[in-house]
Amino acid sequence: MRRLGDLEAEIMDRLWRWDRPATVREIVDDINRIRPVAYTTVMTVADVLHRKGLLRREKSGRAWLYEPERSREEYTAALMQDALGNTEDRQAALQRFVEHMPPDDVSALAAALRAAGQIPGSDEEPGALS
Amino acid sequence: MTDSLGHVRELFLVNHHALPPLTVAIAVGALLPKALASSHWAHRTPRTALVVWSVLALSLITSLSLAFLQLLLPAADSHQLSRFVESCIFFDGADCPPLPLNSPADAGIRVWAAFAAAAVAPVAFTAVLVREFLSAKRRRARHGELLRLVGSRQPELRATVLQHDAPAVYCLPGRAPQVVVSSGALRVLTEQQLAAVLEHERAHIAGRHHLLIAAAAAFGTAFPGLPLAHLVRTEVPLLLEMTADDRALRRCSRGTLATALYVVASGQAPHSAVAAGGPSAVLRVRRILTPHATSSPASWRAFAAFPAAAALTLFVMACCSVPGITDWPSK
Repeated sequence: MRRLGDLEAEIMDRLWRWDRPATVREIVDDINRIRPVAYTTVMTVADVLHRKGLLRREKSGRAWLYEPERSREEYTAALMQDALGNTEDRQAALQRFVEHMPPDDVSALAAALRAAGQIPGSDEEPGALS
Repeated sequence: MTDSLGHVRELFLVNHHALPPLTVAIAVGALLPKALASSHWAHRTPRTALVVWSVLALSLITSLSLAFLQLLLPAADSHQLSRFVESCIFFDGADCPPLPLNSPADAGIRVWAAFAAAAVAPVAFTAVLVREFLSAKRRRARHGELLRLVGSRQPELRATVLQHDAPAVYCLPGRAPQVVVSSGALRVLTEQQLAAVLEHERAHIAGRHHLLIAAAAAFGTAFPGLPLAHLVRTEVPLLLEMTADDRALRRCSRGTLATALYVVASGQAPHSAVAAGGPSAVLRVRRILTPHATSSPASWRAFAAFPAAAALTLFVMACCSVPGITDWPSK
């Protein structure tokens, strides 16, 4: 059985792709083209997404029209902010491969690589900076 | 001996039991950390160094706790406490003297105050630690939730990909740990570099490094201004990065890992503000590129440091709990 989290992603994905408000019925019909899913399940999950602040909705006749609160790009940017942010208090939450660095340190890195004969991105690893 | 003389004597003797733990607190809190941070073997053998930092941190908490206890405890009770510890804990309760302690009535409050003071350092650290764990867990949950919605799982990479131009690689530890790579990182890294970077992040997850990082951050917050706290906070994350680098080096060449680090760092928009871990990447690259800096066996000092720190802690415990050692100044 799929987890509800997957269904959340499926719902958000459709609403972002369609780029317009949609009813639960439309979403259910679209998912049903790939796999069967119950109307009430989608309705429940859409309501959860609304309560989490990810979807906004307004009444249209007897049905709710759902729409993403923010674009996919905005959420991605927020995640990247977490991933690139250099505030110390985020250290325990994520572990980055390399911290966001000031320009001086980047040049010091390049100097260290040059001194070791590893010209950054040119000789040993062609395509490193392609 | 007259009563008044006894009181005068007690006034002067009150503190003598606090001296050993205070000495250790100063040594592990201020003197040893600077020596350890400037030593050469620490970065060469990050695992050993991590153990030593942990022992120093625990020694500080223990010695502070004992110092506070002994500072407030009347000397007579301090001796009785020693006997209590000796006969009730070390010798299985035979001839266990009673606690509460039989000091003059007005000293009863002082005894309880001393026990309360002893709890201050461990309780403060535990409270900050729990708060740190919970807030990190909350942030990870929020991050993981959005990641599930906008990231795409790539089973062949065993990673989640985020569509973003800036190169970024990180791991989200916790109950459902995952490695995250931005499409920008996939674009600038070669296949070998990517494998090295992913291996590095998986080492973080496999080693559950986030727990130690949270503990180090909590320690830094709980004892502000102390050299040990400041250094634990900065050195522990750096040593964990080095541990993960070493793990990645089992699968890739030194050049591959070092250039991967540079490629990711230089691809991000430069950050002119003072970066928290800025110089650490330079240290890591120099270390990765210097063969003996990562592969040499631990020096004798590395092996000596751990037993020395452990012996120091045991010495403090002994000084405060075994009458044979502690009674000498008062006799």
